[in-house]
Amino acid sequence: MSAVRWWASLALPFALLALLRVFLPLPFAIEVVLVSIYTIGCSFLFGRVGLISFGQPAYLAVGAYAAAFYFTDFGSNPYIGILIGCAAGAVASLLIGPIFVRLRSDYFALVNLALAVIIYFLMQKALAPLTNGDNGMWFLTSLEPTPLLDLTRPDHFFVFALLVGFLVWAFYKYLDGSIYGACCLGTKINEDKLTFLGYDNFSIRLMAFVIANTTTALAGALYAVYLGFVSPEITSPTRAVDPVVVAILGGAGTLFGPIVGAVAYTGMKDVLSRIFGNWELFIGFLLVVIMLSGEQGIWGTLEPQLKKLIMRKLP
Amino acid sequence: MSSAALTVKELHVAYGESKALFGIDMNTQVGEIVACVGRNGAGKTTLLRTIAGFLKPTSGSIIADSTNLVGLKAFAVAGMGIKYVPQDKKVFSQLTVKENLELGSYASGDYNWTPVTDYFPKLKLLMDRKAGHLSGGERQMLMIGRAILGAPKILLVDEPTEGLAPSVVGQLKEVFQDLAKKCTLVIVEQNLPLVCAIADRVYALNNGKIVAELDDRSSIKPEICEQYL
Repeated sequence: MSAVRWWASLALPFALLALLRVFLPLPFAIEVVLVSIYTIGCSFLFGRVGLISFGQPAYLAVGAYAAAFYFTDFGSNPYIGILIGCAAGAVASLLIGPIFVRLRSDYFALVNLALAVIIYFLMQKALAPLTNGDNGMWFLTSLEPTPLLDLTRPDHFFVFALLVGFLVWAFYKYLDGSIYGACCLGTKINEDKLTFLGYDNFSIRLMAFVIANTTTALAGALYAVYLGFVSPEITSPTRAVDPVVVAILGGAGTLFGPIVGAVAYTGMKDVLSRIFGNWELFIGFLLVVIMLSGEQGIWGTLEPQLKKLIMRKLP
Repeated sequence: MSSAALTVKELHVAYGESKALFGIDMNTQVGEIVACVGRNGAGKTTLLRTIAGFLKPTSGSIIADSTNLVGLKAFAVAGMGIKYVPQDKKVFSQLTVKENLELGSYASGDYNWTPVTDYFPKLKLLMDRKAGHLSGGERQMLMIGRAILGAPKILLVDEPTEGLAPSVVGQLKEVFQDLAKKCTLVIVEQNLPLVCAIADRVYALNNGKIVAELDDRSSIKPEICEQYL
């Protein structure tokens, strides 16, 4: 694939996301972009490496709280806060990854859920003198306006989040086409086969774990800057399944599945919750339908059809 | 004068409480084709998987390049140039032939695919095909092709001809004979005519023990091997 086509195939979905801003309310558009970034790590781990994680809120909280501590105690530059959130996610993943990635898929899922519960109670109870417990940490007014893109302004923040999202997707697209991406798929399909060739599955899984959770922490730091507020609710175990649901809805392991899943999930939450109290019921039914129809998700089903259509139209 | 490529001494292997190999002794010289024959359940695959580092023996040693392989992780054994081609012909079915070869190249640092396509010209035509859509013979070609990247010192091949068409078996026979000029081959095989045509040394296994070692070409004949099965 030529470089132009490579970037064009990436730019098109983000141009469509930018259009959301024109037709839909700004908070909805921002939520879609942030949920997409939040989900891509989980989707990569699940769909590409075969590791399902119910603990993504823990890594989201690591990024969000790291940024929050910076804003409340050390500085007010949103860009630095976001970088600190990312770095905290990478460090946390590197510290716990060597223990977690040794576990097989089902235990991996549960141990991550346990981590989310631990972080939730740490932030809510044990570290309450630092985190203000359920009241959360507030810093919206202390954020410093930044030149060019002022992240304290929601419209500027949307553009920034979109740019960050674009770079994140470029990175994951590169990974998908790389030898490392093939190794990830290899470790998911049959790790013994990779070992025959001389690959260390542990290193492959650890690297995927760090990449995925650093991205999740980035989403957490972005949430912190956007909301100007962080509370233990961000790592609530009751929301632990959200990124997995979004990933499956969109198509786990596909590049654009998290974006499609985020649009569908946020849209349904927004529209259905106005009509029905229990909107999650519809998500549940939709997931059952997706699972029964081949586990491909919305984008996983649409992508091959679109490719066929484009190939027919192209000379 | 030939030198030892692989020396297995007093190797005992067990799956939990169930013992699978009992004191295996095996010598392989550089450039030899060594065949292990035996009935199903004799311990042939267990022996290869133990050498490749997938199973930890309860006792004994496996020496290659003056290094005891016991205790080394399987990927480290592969990194030493001891490549294992398993029996089940499972390639990475979601990846193309080219991507499967790239995985082999990246691991071994050898991006020259000429030897692979020289041995298996058909693979050239199948580069963009998903490996899951290959026939059994084509998969075997891909697996052997991937394993020979990086010029391995020892190739451990488990039942390479099982379920393959006679024409493919004939092609593999020529490939193995040529590969033996560059590396040592240890082949587990039930196809006695093939074994007898190419092997320099044959070990017959029964119930986890070596019951015969044939190292004289004149004694490596199907009817003689059959006595030990």
